[in-house]
Amino acid sequence: MTETGLDGPLTQALVGTRRFFTSAEVSADLRTMHAKGGRKGDAFYRDRWSHDKVVRSTHGVNCTGSCSWKVYVKDGIITWEAQQTDYPSAGPDRPEYEPRGCPRGAAFSWYTYSPTRVRYPYVRGVLLEMFREARHRLDDPVLAWAEIVGDPAKATAYKSARGKGGLVRSTWPEVTEMVAAAYVHTVKTFGPDRIAGFSPIPAMSPVSYASGARFNELIGAPMLSFYDWYADLPNASPQMFGDQTDVPESGDWWDAGYLIMWGSNVPLTRTPDAHWMTEARYRGQKVIAVAPDYAENVKFADEWVTTAPGTDGALAMGIGHVVLKEFFVDQQVDFFVDYNRRFTDLPYLVTLEPGEDGAYRPGKFLVAGDFDNAEQSSENAMWKPAVLDERTGEVVIPPGSIGHRYGDEGLGKWNLELGDITPALTLHHDKFQAVEVALPRFDSADGSLSHERRGVPVKKVDGHLVTTVLDLMLAHYGVERPGLPGTWPKGYDDPSVPATPAWASQICGAPIEQIIRLGREWAQNAVDTGGRGMILMGAGTNHWYHSDQIYRAMLVLTTITGCQGRNGGGWAHYVGQEKIRPIMGFQHLAFALDWVRPPRHMNQTAYWYVNTSQYRYDTFSADELNGSTGVFAGKGTMDLLAQSVRLGWTPSYPQFTRSSLELADEAGERGVPAAQHVVDQLRSGDLRFAIEDPEAPENFPRILALWRANLLGSSAKGNEYFLKHLLGTDHAVRASEAAPEQRPTDVTWRDEAGSGKLDLLMTLDFRMTSSTLFSDVVLPAATWYEKHDINTTDMHPFVHSFNPAIAPPWQSKSDWDTWKEIAKAFSALAGKHLGTRKDVVAKPLWHDTPEAMATVHGRVLDWRKGECEPVPGKTMPVLVEVERDYTAIFDKMTAIGPLLEKVGMLTKGVAYNVQREMDILRSRNGEARSGAGAGQPRMETDIQVAEAIMHLSATCNGHLATHGFKALEKRTGTLLHDLSAEHEGKQITFADTQAAPVPVITSPEWSGSESGGRRYSPFTINIERAKPFHTLTGRQQFYLDHDWMMGMGESLPTYRPPLDMARLFDETPVGEQNALGVAVRYLTPHNKWSIHSEYQDNLFMLSLSRGGQTIWMSDLDAAKIGVRDNEWVEAVNRNGVVAARAIVSHRMPEGTVYMHHAQDRLIDVPLTETNGRRGGIHNSLTRILLKPSHIIGGYAQHAYFFNYIGPTGNNRDEVTMIRRRTNQKVEY
Amino acid sequence: MNTFLFVILPYICLAIFVVGHWWRYKYDKFGWTTRSSQLYEDTLLKWGSPLFHFGMLGVVGGHVIGLLLPRGWTDAMGISEHTYHLFALVGGLIAGAMTVTGLVMLVYRRRTVRPVFSATTVMDKVMYLLLGTVILLGIWNTLASGVFGLGGKEFSYRTTVSPWFRGIFYGQPEAALMADAPLGFQLHAIAAFLLFALWPFTRLVHVFSAPLGYLTRPYIVYRSRAEHVARGLGNRSPQPGWERPSLDTSGTS
Repeated sequence: MTETGLDGPLTQALVGTRRFFTSAEVSADLRTMHAKGGRKGDAFYRDRWSHDKVVRSTHGVNCTGSCSWKVYVKDGIITWEAQQTDYPSAGPDRPEYEPRGCPRGAAFSWYTYSPTRVRYPYVRGVLLEMFREARHRLDDPVLAWAEIVGDPAKATAYKSARGKGGLVRSTWPEVTEMVAAAYVHTVKTFGPDRIAGFSPIPAMSPVSYASGARFNELIGAPMLSFYDWYADLPNASPQMFGDQTDVPESGDWWDAGYLIMWGSNVPLTRTPDAHWMTEARYRGQKVIAVAPDYAENVKFADEWVTTAPGTDGALAMGIGHVVLKEFFVDQQVDFFVDYNRRFTDLPYLVTLEPGEDGAYRPGKFLVAGDFDNAEQSSENAMWKPAVLDERTGEVVIPPGSIGHRYGDEGLGKWNLELGDITPALTLHHDKFQAVEVALPRFDSADGSLSHERRGVPVKKVDGHLVTTVLDLMLAHYGVERPGLPGTWPKGYDDPSVPATPAWASQICGAPIEQIIRLGREWAQNAVDTGGRGMILMGAGTNHWYHSDQIYRAMLVLTTITGCQGRNGGGWAHYVGQEKIRPIMGFQHLAFALDWVRPPRHMNQTAYWYVNTSQYRYDTFSADELNGSTGVFAGKGTMDLLAQSVRLGWTPSYPQFTRSSLELADEAGERGVPAAQHVVDQLRSGDLRFAIEDPEAPENFPRILALWRANLLGSSAKGNEYFLKHLLGTDHAVRASEAAPEQRPTDVTWRDEAGSGKLDLLMTLDFRMTSSTLFSDVVLPAATWYEKHDINTTDMHPFVHSFNPAIAPPWQSKSDWDTWKEIAKAFSALAGKHLGTRKDVVAKPLWHDTPEAMATVHGRVLDWRKGECEPVPGKTMPVLVEVERDYTAIFDKMTAIGPLLEKVGMLTKGVAYNVQREMDILRSRNGEARSGAGAGQPRMETDIQVAEAIMHLSATCNGHLATHGFKALEKRTGTLLHDLSAEHEGKQITFADTQAAPVPVITSPEWSGSESGGRRYSPFTINIERAKPFHTLTGRQQFYLDHDWMMGMGESLPTYRPPLDMARLFDETPVGEQNALGVAVRYLTPHNKWSIHSEYQDNLFMLSLSRGGQTIWMSDLDAAKIGVRDNEWVEAVNRNGVVAARAIVSHRMPEGTVYMHHAQDRLIDVPLTETNGRRGGIHNSLTRILLKPSHIIGGYAQHAYFFNYIGPTGNNRDEVTMIRRRTNQKVEY
Repeated sequence: MNTFLFVILPYICLAIFVVGHWWRYKYDKFGWTTRSSQLYEDTLLKWGSPLFHFGMLGVVGGHVIGLLLPRGWTDAMGISEHTYHLFALVGGLIAGAMTVTGLVMLVYRRRTVRPVFSATTVMDKVMYLLLGTVILLGIWNTLASGVFGLGGKEFSYRTTVSPWFRGIFYGQPEAALMADAPLGFQLHAIAAFLLFALWPFTRLVHVFSAPLGYLTRPYIVYRSRAEHVARGLGNRSPQPGWERPSLDTSGTS
């Protein structure tokens, strides 16, 4: 036994004397001393943690974290922030949401008083001087602006100064007048569609998003999309699910039995949610990490699958081969069979067309209108695909297709209830006929096309030779069945043909045994757990040119095994997928649909592909880029884009070669409807789409406003082309333009590409960024601790608020207040210069409307070629004439317009009557007393906007949710409204969100259910309530039969390697060395110490990280070019130059470098050796490569909606040369 | 000139010393620190710091005996001049050697260990310079006078410097007593007073915060609230202007 006591006799003796020196009582055992008083020193420590106030807010940063924070204010100064802990419970038997928050968020308060804070309105000095002079002389700001931008010398003077400093302080009245004058002049001279606004990710702060969006849409200027532009939009989702993106919340990871993190580095990019992943492992979950490098998430995984970058599609097909063979052919699993019969297109019949080589080609879906059946002459008969009823042997039409979704006959029939029908998944029975089909493969090094001939069982239906999607898929995956002709693999270890494990292994590098094991475990887990297998898909698999194919191959795994629409199952696409849960209210108010419809929505990738003239550097045909299938032979990607625009598939602004206001005037003079006038003019050739002559000055974009956005520091793929053509300043473009024979044929080629197209670049921000450096006007914005707003994401089913801890300091203003100021100044100037005008809006054919039934069988007919008549809304864009009172923009912006009551609200095909909500808002927000909005609910303050958004969204308004479900029930004929019944009386108000994060309500706006407090998982309503997907068949669709999809060889998910940049662009093949260093694949993944460009300039993050621009490379590559850790390197390709420091690490694979994206040009960017100019940013080495399948429209799920579908700003196929700088002493 | 150097300057310096400490304590209580660099490096510190600090205690003790004890007192105790001299010389040199060795180690450490150097302020550098000067001059005086006997016979500081020094505290300093002292002693004294003037603004303030109490302190110290007269609820004393709810339970008001 140990003796108790102090440390030793000496201590004992010393402490024993204490009682002689103190009046305090020393305990008998000498361990404690009891003194009275003497606590004055406590005051300091109490004061350290006493504050004026503690305010709830969050960070409107694009990170999906949605962490609520306590912001502390002391003596009127924001001191720091700490994590909130009052989230709703995730449930009684699972971990909770907190702890939430990461080091980046915890460092935010630094920005409030940081040296890079924008404190005052700034204007480029040379521009401001000219404006003041002209304004004084002409006594009219609009004429002053017109003079400056109209004078080439003056315009060049300020445009060429962009990015070179010289911003000077202005005042709010002066700067708003100048900006308003620019808007008025541009609307008047060129038309409102020459203006654009860009702000991303409304979910992170919808009120702020709505501020500028509402102004832009009210004047008729397009808002630019972000999801596709960021390359975050997985086009596989609209293609397969008919849904933009819907994913499980992070709390649902807990429910999964098997979790694959595939290109998603959860602890790094989803830091506050990563705890779920580690917790779930204690529940027995198996975790797999697929990553080319030893990424942060790998150490959490049970297994690490290393793949070569960009080859994930092959891996997915290899796994799929195992699943299909062992669980669909070797045995039949009831769970899978039932699921696929009801919820996928596997049983649907596809016609086969004979090819010249004797083999058949997969063709179109067999639809009701194609053959003799009961529904042959029914409404929308060409939109109702068919299946074979296994029970009767007859070909029948199941309910639930897009043909049932619209029209009176489909009422009550748009559902997935099969009734007596038992769809046959395959035609492969005891007796069958078989033919050979030629299936495309692209797995050669250069990605070129070859064909594999394999047999499928067939049947004749009314003269059509048909087979099922599953039969095609089995052939495509090389899964042999008895009695079928063609070349089949000899076994799993046969690498010669797709899609065996050996074939996949040879491409992606993962061992064959691992691929087989993954396949077996994945499928068996689905069987054992009822579909609780989940794949977290990340940017590593999604930012490729062919990522839609990679994703489709991965989605085959989650879908055929019945994992979609399950808690703990399915795809979890975690790439910029923020979800604005109250989407209906947000959408209608942000895009001013309460005042004028339709809005102008633009896909941003195409916008910049055209307007930064990047199309002029495409030195290959669209066909070559896409694997030489022949479908696009002789056409440039630009030709396809122009075609897509004129067929009404995808939007394009500027619209036409003349102002849209002018066209309305002309129609008025002619006395014909505007749409008729435009069609006539287009047909005669007097009028063209602006995209057909983009270098004509009248077709330039003139004004771009950025708020909550850092285009030039973060997302601008082809940064140097932006600088050259859009801004007209110094740049590092090294590529040359296409030779005459490579140029687009349908688009006018002017010898001189535009330079300095943009007249005004304006940025609202609270910190200096690459974008503000290039802006002509920089306005000081309030930070996230200085304004009211709300915040939601898809990873958490709650809504919470921003609140000002302090008033916006210096001269900063909230975005809402800033745009109100601009609107006020604009409305005042419009009185003299604009008045009320008519505007012709061209809008593409929209998804979730009957317009999506424009292209029967996906057969492309071009009116320009005389293949059909130009019919607005059918074979070309919808053309609508609207009226805009430009003097009333401010009035309209600050009141909710009458259309919500008169026409109602419409979201994802469900119509709502919101008279009740408008009356409540009249009481809650008050009525506008005068002006254009008199009698309408007010929306003057940010809180009023937030209230309106939440009252007009079913996710926050239980009454509206039930109302919407009841409306939907009429179409589906099934029970749905019970899903939200428990919350019918609930209305989330702004005050609620201030008190604590509030759980949202199950709503028809989304596909999952939170009813009864369950975790959100997408498509649970579709699966559990038989509600169709918004696709052609109404099922999750593997087979895509649009002409372009078939032409590209992508009807079925297939592996396509990364683009061969050596062949396309004459870059050096990866691994080779020359005077410029070594050629490497250039990836730009997320940074651990920032959220995009936010925080990378934050002192705390700079201290925690190395700070400044860096490029990660492997020790092997570093040795090749003799570079040591932290030395300066220079990366050069045709697109530009980057000078950065090297981080040499063995965690990187050979042949690949990482430059973490969005390292702004403000921190440690020296002059380059290559051209002596300031080095670029990560996007200086990238450029836009547009994939034609993303601009298909007018065909069921392939139909446009804002951020729903669109060409991606992908960037991962890029390569670069990298070398050590000869001079390590850099200059700045 | 002598009057300024040996009368006015000492008083100015002492005034700064006293007022400076009061000011520093009042306005910079949380800056009252040794600015310890032990976290950054402790191999050199482990030897250098005790050598310097214990050496310094010896030096200070020597000065107390030499400066404050009048010669008459030691005589009265029967300590012969030779004994005193031997004791002072040997003791002084040992303490001096420890101090200098420690100081050299500490300065070397401070300059060569990067994190420690990064944590060094300008005031630190000035202080080190002055402190080093005072110490070196002191040792020089001891050596020059007591060992090498420079200047012929040993300088008797006990009859000149010491009475002058004590005079400062009596209020009757005699500059003349210092006027004839060797230059080394004069400089030592002047530098020392300058160091006193700098003292309150440097880390040297920690001399007054030596944690002697730790030696005898029990491990856990409880402090109950001081009792306030007529205190209300809560742990703060009543603030002016507010009537506090009373704990009085007599039932009358």
